[in-house]
Amino acid sequence: MPLGTLDRTPPPFFKQGATPLHKLIFFSCLSVLIMFCDVRWQITQPLRSLFSLALAPIQWMAQQPGFLSSRVEVFLQDKGDAQEEAAVFKKQLLDQSLQASQVDQLQLENKQLRSLLELKDRVQTTGQVAQVIYDAADPFTRKVILDKGSISGIHVSSPVMDEAGVVGQVTRVYPLISEATLIIDKNHSIPVLNNRTGARGVAFGESGGAPLLELRYMAANADIQENDILSTSGVDGVYPPGVPVAKVIKIERSADSMFARILCEPLGRAQGVRHLMVLEPVGKDLPARPEMEVVKTPSRSGGR
Amino acid sequence: MIMPRGQQLLLPAKPLFIVMSLFMALLMNMLENVGLLGNAAWMPDFLALVLLFWSVHQPQRVGIGWAFILGLACDVHQVSFLGQHALAYTVQGFLATLIHRRLLWFSVPSQALQVLPLFAISHAISMVLRMSLSGSLVGWSMFFAPMIEACLWPIVSVILLAPQRRAPDPDENRPL
Repeated sequence: MPLGTLDRTPPPFFKQGATPLHKLIFFSCLSVLIMFCDVRWQITQPLRSLFSLALAPIQWMAQQPGFLSSRVEVFLQDKGDAQEEAAVFKKQLLDQSLQASQVDQLQLENKQLRSLLELKDRVQTTGQVAQVIYDAADPFTRKVILDKGSISGIHVSSPVMDEAGVVGQVTRVYPLISEATLIIDKNHSIPVLNNRTGARGVAFGESGGAPLLELRYMAANADIQENDILSTSGVDGVYPPGVPVAKVIKIERSADSMFARILCEPLGRAQGVRHLMVLEPVGKDLPARPEMEVVKTPSRSGGR
Repeated sequence: MIMPRGQQLLLPAKPLFIVMSLFMALLMNMLENVGLLGNAAWMPDFLALVLLFWSVHQPQRVGIGWAFILGLACDVHQVSFLGQHALAYTVQGFLATLIHRRLLWFSVPSQALQVLPLFAISHAISMVLRMSLSGSLVGWSMFFAPMIEACLWPIVSVILLAPQRRAPDPDENRPL
């Protein structure tokens, strides 16, 4: 029998290191500690950035089959389809060019009117285009990963939109990539304005898991109809005002609840979109928030 | 090492092959996430599967420490809470060291049945952590993930043991 057939290293009888139980206790405590730091204090960003940089080449490799397949798809696409698509885009361009030519004039007029009324100038935002690398694998949340990070000048809390409306908000920035939470995420909320009535409200991600928004805290007799368009109100200092967000699709009014249950469909496509626009957050230009007055409440135990 | 009767003597495992297989498992996890299926809850976790395989077959080389580090990497990729997968993999690695001497005496299909609870515990830890920290819950489809992983156990056993099953003295009749 040739040498090297068997593992000839003697089993380390005496030097086995820590026992599995000790390792279990140590690493469990460490992961709970890290989790606590992550959830409560949000101080684990350097650790995350480190791992993210280490994972970047593997992620790049994992993207390649997708890119290849989309390239093959383009290659195999019918000429007729491509021409049809081009015709549609041309028509869209014509429609938009008319609007765009009017926008310059309207902006000038708006500026003059605002100066006449001595109002503050409207916030102007700039943005950059980023590509969606992948949907976050965590099935509990609705997040996407974008291919631009702090090196490209992406900031935390920048709004993200596509050509139809708001898609989400950047919640975490790594050196090379950044993470955007979609507006349909359960923990995400966005202040909106009803375009028809001007009523303000807050839209939350639908908690049932469907890709919908829920307009909460609207009184049961509030003036709201199906097909109303909701757009950003701009009071939050994150989203620029007037960007379309969602369309009301269903209103349920029940007698036993003060509020109506209003479901809305987001206008920005959350899934299956490849290119998104990351805007600068507008909050920098807003005045500072006024100091909250601390209301002293009598403590429960000492009161009696 | 005392071997079960009638089993082939295996060649020693190459450390490079172990590292490469873990790397490939991580890549496959990313592939099924990036390219194929998005964020469905029932998707099998290949990294957990390969980690468990090596911590049963090579407990001296792949232990709880590796499980912890790879769990952190998984958390960063999936943008879940940092430490969620790390804790799940750590517990799974510990349970694997508890059963690793016994498990290899069984046939491969009954091994798959015995590792099913380990995968289930690992997924349950993730789920309980998410529920307690953010109050979010995914549907019942999450319970398919450990079952799919256990069904993949025989396939992984064949693939990852193949290099160790090669002939110790290759000649022209038996090149591999």
